[in-house]
Amino acid sequence: MNQAKTSGEPLLSVRKLQVDIAGKRVLRSVDFDVDAGELVVLMGANGSGKSTLALALAGHPRYEVSGTAHLGGQDLLELPVEARARAGLFLSFQAPPDIPGVKNNLFIRTALNAQRASRGEPEIDAYDFLGQAKAGAKRLGLPDAMLARPVNEGFSGGERKRNELLQLALFKPRVALLDEIDSGLDVDGVRALVDLITEMRAQGTAFVVVSHYLHMIEMLEPDRVLRLQDGCISESGDLELARSITAQGFAAAPARQAAPVGA
Amino acid sequence: MDAARSEALAARAQLLEQGGWQFRRLEAFRFVAPPPAETWLGDETVLDAPAVPNGGWTWEPSDAAAKPDIRWLDAADTSQRSALLERLPQPGEDAVAPFAWAHRALCKGGLRIRVPKAADPDAAPVMLRLRQSSSEAVEAPLLVVELEPGAHCVLVEEHGQAAGAGPEEAVRNLQVHLLLAEGARLQHWRQVQPQAGQRVAHHLNVHLDAGAFYAQAMLATGSAYHLQRAHVVFDGEGAEARLGSVLLSDARQLDRQVRMIHAAPRSTSTARALALARGKALVAADLYAHVRPGAEDADIHQHLAGIPTAGSPRLVMRPQLEIEHDAVQAAHGTTWGRLPDEAIFFARQRGLDEATALSLILHGMAAAEVVRALADERLCETVGALQALDEALNRYLSPAQAQERRDG
Repeated sequence: MNQAKTSGEPLLSVRKLQVDIAGKRVLRSVDFDVDAGELVVLMGANGSGKSTLALALAGHPRYEVSGTAHLGGQDLLELPVEARARAGLFLSFQAPPDIPGVKNNLFIRTALNAQRASRGEPEIDAYDFLGQAKAGAKRLGLPDAMLARPVNEGFSGGERKRNELLQLALFKPRVALLDEIDSGLDVDGVRALVDLITEMRAQGTAFVVVSHYLHMIEMLEPDRVLRLQDGCISESGDLELARSITAQGFAAAPARQAAPVGA
Repeated sequence: MDAARSEALAARAQLLEQGGWQFRRLEAFRFVAPPPAETWLGDETVLDAPAVPNGGWTWEPSDAAAKPDIRWLDAADTSQRSALLERLPQPGEDAVAPFAWAHRALCKGGLRIRVPKAADPDAAPVMLRLRQSSSEAVEAPLLVVELEPGAHCVLVEEHGQAAGAGPEEAVRNLQVHLLLAEGARLQHWRQVQPQAGQRVAHHLNVHLDAGAFYAQAMLATGSAYHLQRAHVVFDGEGAEARLGSVLLSDARQLDRQVRMIHAAPRSTSTARALALARGKALVAADLYAHVRPGAEDADIHQHLAGIPTAGSPRLVMRPQLEIEHDAVQAAHGTTWGRLPDEAIFFARQRGLDEATALSLILHGMAAAEVVRALADERLCETVGALQALDEALNRYLSPAQAQERRDG
């Protein structure tokens, strides 16, 4: 469903996002923009709130969220979880859960058809879907058999991530939040991931990629690298920022003055 | 007076006049108390009514190479009664003896099946499809299935009736005896979906000789009173039993009791139950395993999951172990009240609305329980288990819509 940008507004715009979990403030004030086809890398120390940011934008039901987040001008925070997904927001989970007894192909097709129905598009039938799913799985190195197995049940870490990528490829979101998508992936998996993202960026999908893996970050050629620290974006830069953090570590590389939003 | 009638009257007298119907003080029946003895006996005129043809049992012939011997035996006929009750224990004095006595007082016959071993070791298992439904107000059906050494059978057993096909407050006190000889294998799919007003008690007594394997998956739904009790005795070394059940109750009662008695070495038991309840339902699931002295290397697994899906139902989940031997492995666990929040959030993040996500996930959990028990997904489809689960869950999750369908 990825669509080209049609106005001067950023595709995803986040302002003063504040997140509390069980009474504890995890994010104080997060601001950033991502435009169609752009890729932003989000870095930060363990516990800095990277996953919280992604889950909050996706609508995690136990988070208390304030501030604003707009996707294509639509107020995300006003929408229930599924409406955010149908609006074109995709989250690749850091630890995708098992869904025992629900076959992967049934799950993905049901979800895909729910999204299509919300856009007034006809359902995709099982035969056509299976063809697309098999082609996608092959490209991503996910064995066909995984489509007929329960969602993520008995999957290795890498297989779970490949399965997330398969859903990313099939759903074609407008904005994809990828939370440590590289963890568990082997070199072939990372290569397939980079190829997929490159192709989808060219088609207009925007990406926010949470990662600690410099080699992959370099392969992705990000538009910006953001550093999350103390509950806000403390620094914005280019690949050099990622290289600096990787070389010196978060503790030894204090954040410089925060850059303007979207810079 | 013939022997059958004499025995029936003696059983009635014991239950009605000698205080033989006592459950209130029994721990297993503390939460879901059975209705009084009169409920299960009916009045004396029941004894004089002619038996329903084949006791309401219908079956489909098996096309397997090994032909089972299937006989309906009349309990009023002396010789048939003797054949019917052969190898079956007399009602004893255990916790559920009153049900057994009530059954003897009313049982007019039973279905006795003997499954031989196929000559070809690669032959498909014998497939038996049984259905029990009749129009009697009070009944005590009996089913006995014997598997000869090395026999392999798939048994599909269905109880229930369409709305309007029988008394809405019918009473069924069923006794099932499954006797598995050495090396026999039985995969058993049961579905028991009584009408809301019916009172149902099913007692399965399973005996496993050495190396025998018994797998049971069951779907049971709530009613005015519904007891499903399985008593599995491991008589032979290396026997294995695996019982999984999906319990659905909507403002009704449902009581699941499993007793695994490890009386032989190296026996393995797995008992699981997934209970979904809504409204004001009361569901109890009580899994008990007893390892007797000498049953070394017994391996026991118990797992219970109780999930209230709406309203304020009461769910009682009780895993219990009694171990009288040192070398035993046992694992048991219970989860109560936990919907899989992360999975629901994940599904919603993919675009499914909350109700659809919940339905999909609960269907999956139920299917996984059944597939795990029978350990054969294709078999689950062949016997109609997955379809039955889907239909039952759809009714359970949309009671208002189901009621509208029933009302036409």
